[in-house]
Amino acid sequence: MAGLTLRNVGKRYGALSIIQGLNLDIRDGEFLVLVGPSGCGKSTLLRMIAGLEDISEGTIAIGGRIVNDLPASKRELSMVFQSYALYPHMNVRKNLAFGLQNFNVPRQQVEHRVAEAARILQIEQLMDRKPRQLSGGQKQRVAIGRAIVREPQLFLFDEPLSNLDAELRVQMRAELASLYTRLGTTMIYVTHDQVEAMTMASRIVVLRGGKIEQVGTPQELYTRPQNLFVAGFIGSPKINMLQAKVLHEAGRTFVDIAGLPRFAIPALRATSEAMTLCVRPSSLQVGDGDVTTEGTIRLVEYLGSETLLHVALPSGQVLLVSDSGRNPYRMGDPVTIGFDLFDLHYFDSAGQRVEPTQNESLVQ
Amino acid sequence: MEVSVEMEEAAKIAHEMRLRRDKRARNGRILKHIFLIGVSCVMLYPLFWLLASSFKPENEIFGSLTLWPSEFRFDNYTEGWNALPQSFTLFYVNSAIVTALSVIGNLISCSFAAYAFARLSFTGRRFLFALMMMTLMIPYHVVLIPQYVQFLRLGWVDTYLPLVVPRFLASDAFFIFLMVQFFRQLPRELDEAAMIDGCSPFKIYRAIILPLSLPAMGTAAIFSLIWVWEDFLAPLIYLNDIKSYTVPLALRLFLDQEGKSAYGQMFAMSVLSLVPVVIFFVLFQKLIVRGIATSGMK
Amino acid sequence: MKRFFARNAPAYVFLLPWLVGFFLLALGPILASLYLSFTRYDMVSDPRWIGLGNYEYMFTRDRRFWKALDVTFTYVVLAVPARLIVALGVAMLLDRGLRTIGLYRAIFYLPSLLGASIAIAILWRQLFAEDGVVNQVLALVGIQGAAWITDPDTSLYTLVILAMWQFGSPMLIFLAGLRGIPRDLYEAAEIDGTPRWRQFTRITLPLLAPVIFFNLVLQTIEAFKTFSSAFIISNGTGAPADSLLFYTVYLFNEAFKFFRMGYASALAWVLLVIIAIFTAIAFFTSKYWVHYENERD
Repeated sequence: MAGLTLRNVGKRYGALSIIQGLNLDIRDGEFLVLVGPSGCGKSTLLRMIAGLEDISEGTIAIGGRIVNDLPASKRELSMVFQSYALYPHMNVRKNLAFGLQNFNVPRQQVEHRVAEAARILQIEQLMDRKPRQLSGGQKQRVAIGRAIVREPQLFLFDEPLSNLDAELRVQMRAELASLYTRLGTTMIYVTHDQVEAMTMASRIVVLRGGKIEQVGTPQELYTRPQNLFVAGFIGSPKINMLQAKVLHEAGRTFVDIAGLPRFAIPALRATSEAMTLCVRPSSLQVGDGDVTTEGTIRLVEYLGSETLLHVALPSGQVLLVSDSGRNPYRMGDPVTIGFDLFDLHYFDSAGQRVEPTQNESLVQ
Repeated sequence: MEVSVEMEEAAKIAHEMRLRRDKRARNGRILKHIFLIGVSCVMLYPLFWLLASSFKPENEIFGSLTLWPSEFRFDNYTEGWNALPQSFTLFYVNSAIVTALSVIGNLISCSFAAYAFARLSFTGRRFLFALMMMTLMIPYHVVLIPQYVQFLRLGWVDTYLPLVVPRFLASDAFFIFLMVQFFRQLPRELDEAAMIDGCSPFKIYRAIILPLSLPAMGTAAIFSLIWVWEDFLAPLIYLNDIKSYTVPLALRLFLDQEGKSAYGQMFAMSVLSLVPVVIFFVLFQKLIVRGIATSGMK
Repeated sequence: MKRFFARNAPAYVFLLPWLVGFFLLALGPILASLYLSFTRYDMVSDPRWIGLGNYEYMFTRDRRFWKALDVTFTYVVLAVPARLIVALGVAMLLDRGLRTIGLYRAIFYLPSLLGASIAIAILWRQLFAEDGVVNQVLALVGIQGAAWITDPDTSLYTLVILAMWQFGSPMLIFLAGLRGIPRDLYEAAEIDGTPRWRQFTRITLPLLAPVIFFNLVLQTIEAFKTFSSAFIISNGTGAPADSLLFYTVYLFNEAFKFFRMGYASALAWVLLVIIAIFTAIAFFTSKYWVHYENERD
């Protein structure tokens, strides 16, 4: 097992810069998820750690050893690929044993470890099959098995669940989580699916355009997004964003939002004239709140455990409201919605989070 | 009431139209088959004529279009086999040696180069690949003379080295191209997974790429076998001693003796020279066809 | 530097045989050939520099050079289109409506595979001999055949027919290309009532243009290189009356019969330039008539 240190890591293809000046410390035994929209550089970063891509700038150290010039075969890590990348001409047993044989592990130990991995992943009955005779979920298990027999100091996962159907994905997610608990090895996991990120990660790294937007636990990311991008990226249904004008009168701070009555907000550490106020759909309530406004229901999405209302404000902006789902709403109905002040997230004109001065404890 | 009658009528017409269309399609198919069978006969007639003539007595070969000989004679084969100063046994052994070595050389050297071009990243890859593609265009005749001078100086003339050694140096770029096309279709994640599993580039080539490329290797082997077997120009230049002749050179000797009018024997030996090619074609037809489709060449 | 080496070393190890071959068997000989083309060289004494002498003789005084060019160009102009048209026609017949095409495909491809062999050249000589099969067939319908091979007026056509007989490989490439044309295009055209001929000119030809182009370039180069069959059928001399004096046959004889290696090298270079020009023309004009479905690749 090992921690990982990334210092000023950059990746360029000619003039095209994929990753810029990235710094990150990954703790020993951590389940770190790299998440971000497609093209954000998350897969590239993972492949740089794996040794499948050159590192254009900076250094990557695994367990304190700088690995920039170390080929993938000598980095003592394993990787699970999105396409599984099982060797088509070898049966499951050989797929599992192949890596160990390359590292000259004694034969008895190879057999022992392969059997152990097969037992953990419940693929013992598949050992003599070729990959093409396996279902998607089975391939996935074999791919994970191939990674764990190596007993590496570091696991890398490149969107491993994205080729599975929804049900299997949920199941494998739980299995991966329990595998992590059992092995306790450092894992780095790339995904574009925020549910995977939220459910499995010790910490999440949100990437955009080759830069880190925020690093934190799932709770931190959800409750205190550091900028508008993270606020919008984490959380489903998506957070509501309101453009606000900030006014200072008589020592208090007010905001003007089109379609809403002017209301006072807590003092902020810093303000700019124009700000963005965000509120999650689950924080919007029907008929109640510190601040309320009238709206019209444009669309009702019944999801079972909740109902998602698309409510148009008089200004025309549509807010998403998550309601408990018991009340019969109809399209076109007028509705009063409201929110509590401590559920608001404040972002300045540069999109950076601004904390209120007094009630920080409330936000938690 | 009337409506249903009309509908019935319409259904009947539709049914008839469908029948007519099916019938037209079937007639078209039959016409096509007749035409294609005709073309096939024309295509194959010369080959069958060659085969038939090899069994005919000398005086029956010309002047008759019938393929069936009045009596089957194997004299042409038995006599033809020994009609030249050396027996055909020797020529076949020579051809087999040259062919086997050449095929091995082609497979090894071309798959090496193709692996580098298709799977490894290195400085100058695009440039070298373009050079390689350009060599596909160069007529053999352009390099022939300097090569000959060079091999003569090395004392290689009248040995098989000038025929075989170039093949170990990937001289036939077509096979590199064929294999590159095939290797590129293999998922790159396999190489990467193998890399992470501790494989060196050579191990990846041997344990992953080669076993997964058996069809391409087979195609290359068959093409190279057939071409080397039929190769005429290079042996013509480099082999002077009849003891080292390959089968095509030996066949040509028959032509030089045309005055003796040993047509039957010449045809019999011609047939024999084609036999390995035809056998390989029949056995590996699928590989050959697919090979052409993937390379888009030859 | 160390990194650069580590990154490139494995690839160059794999490339080594080819690289050695490229320098010793391709680039080196081509340059040597260029040098020799400016010399007089008989392999006995050392090459003697004569400047442009070979080229001057070739272009101004050597009738046989012009004859060889004439024969070869005539052959290329006749054989390549003939072969491609037959190949495309048969490929289109095979492409649609028939369930089992494997056997036909095999039969049509077989001659291409055998075509380069000496046995076939020998066979061809006999087929077109004065008392050969062709004339007997013609006699059946009352036509007095010519002495095809020995008559300078007709001998070249026997080789054109041989080329047509070997339409197999371009046919297979056309077949693969036709398979790539989406069926719904024809179905849409059918529904619009487009006649067959227009379907051919408006759908098949344009979409097949890259394949046609590819075949054309390839077959043209191949045709320029024709040697064995011409050599055998003309008894190694280009006879009768130089009507089968293919460029390669002429070159071969200059080099290996008369040992005029310098002159033959000059001939080789002219051939190289001709082929390069043809390829270049094909590539530079291709953008006007070849439409690629997928421009990205």
